[in-house]
Amino acid sequence: MLIGLFSLKLSEVKKMVDIVTVVIPGLIVGILFGFILQRGRFCMNSAFRDIILLKEYKLAKGVALALGVEMIGFSILILGGIVTANPKPFTVLGSILGGLIFGIGMVLASGCASGTSYRVGEGMTGSFVALLGLGIGAYTTKSGVMSWASSSLKTTIADPITSGGLRIAGDATPIIMLIIGIAVICVFVYFHLIPYLKERKEKNEAILDFSDMTTKIFKTAYPWWISGLAIAILNCAAWISSAAGGRNYPLGITAGWLGWLQWSVTGLDSALNWLVFMVAGLVLGSLIAAIISKEFKLRIPKEGKTLLLQFLGGLLMGFGAVTAGGCNIGNLLSGIPMGSVGSIMTGIFIVLGCWLMAYLLFMRGEE
Amino acid sequence: MVDITDTLDVKGEVCPYPDVKSKRKVKKMKSGDVLKILVDYPLSAERIPETMKSLGHEVISIDKVGDADWVILVKIK
Repeated sequence: MLIGLFSLKLSEVKKMVDIVTVVIPGLIVGILFGFILQRGRFCMNSAFRDIILLKEYKLAKGVALALGVEMIGFSILILGGIVTANPKPFTVLGSILGGLIFGIGMVLASGCASGTSYRVGEGMTGSFVALLGLGIGAYTTKSGVMSWASSSLKTTIADPITSGGLRIAGDATPIIMLIIGIAVICVFVYFHLIPYLKERKEKNEAILDFSDMTTKIFKTAYPWWISGLAIAILNCAAWISSAAGGRNYPLGITAGWLGWLQWSVTGLDSALNWLVFMVAGLVLGSLIAAIISKEFKLRIPKEGKTLLLQFLGGLLMGFGAVTAGGCNIGNLLSGIPMGSVGSIMTGIFIVLGCWLMAYLLFMRGEE
Repeated sequence: MVDITDTLDVKGEVCPYPDVKSKRKVKKMKSGDVLKILVDYPLSAERIPETMKSLGHEVISIDKVGDADWVILVKIK
């Protein structure tokens, strides 16, 4: 259905939306993003939830590594004058409550904004329902019946501080981020890469093994550090591409789906920006990856309750993302490496909301 | 051929449900029992064996039997 919708769209908007700088680059970045997410099973909901639920840290380490590499990449892009810093505003209650509600929502939806999007490409119908919830939740909060809630959280509390776009250290932020990023890489190299290479050496395996690359890229799941590195590099490229398309920000998710809804409801081509095509490409990329690795199948949760919970989770995520000015990608993956205080707060509260809900849903009552 | 004591079908479920349900299931089983888990979610198909091993159980086999379709056999410690 998505593909049908898209081809219909392409012919209609040819005149209004720039195909060379907006449509094609957005789609290409999206396809790559969806591909990596599916192969890396890169879902932040799983990453944060499984820290407490399964005591499993691989995905969380992948997220941390991605943030570290992005800190270096973004700082170079900003200091080199290739892009201008565009941190999200810190709206105190909006950033905090929005993050918390988003975190609660993503556990109910069984996936964060990006995780839900890529699972649609895998054929998970429950995630499709969650995505509908996300779009509706975001749209009603942005310009519909729920807008009073997010706007009151944004204005009244944030006004005395007037901290729109506040960064941890003002203009010195990229330097600080660069230092933190290098520190993260050092930790990664010392605690993971060197032991990993030593182990390979002891087993008499080649340090860099380029054999069977097709299988490694298309068939087997990526180790956490490969997906972390790939996503970080892609996000740097995404920012350059997106800025060239008139949208000065790295990857996001929620605003992309919001754009689709806005466009389909209002018919305004102005809703169709780079990100709208990126999220469409994401689903396509994940679909391609899933088909090649023989992991695509239309799947339906056995209990109807699960679908309802996923829809509710999607609504909460949409509300939270608009209230906080971004989801786990816009705020957490793209905003934190920029040093935005709002994104850092939202990121912390997404994790806390996730833990709270995971505890209530899966851990309470068990030893 | 192994004697299968019980089968857990978690097809159609998104993570963490397959992981959590299989964890809850093995807790109720006796030592030496064999649990057959049917799962169609890739991440869980990779994770469940790891979780089972960390709980001390023996993972007898992981078979991909079709497009997004796995059968995992676990022997309870």
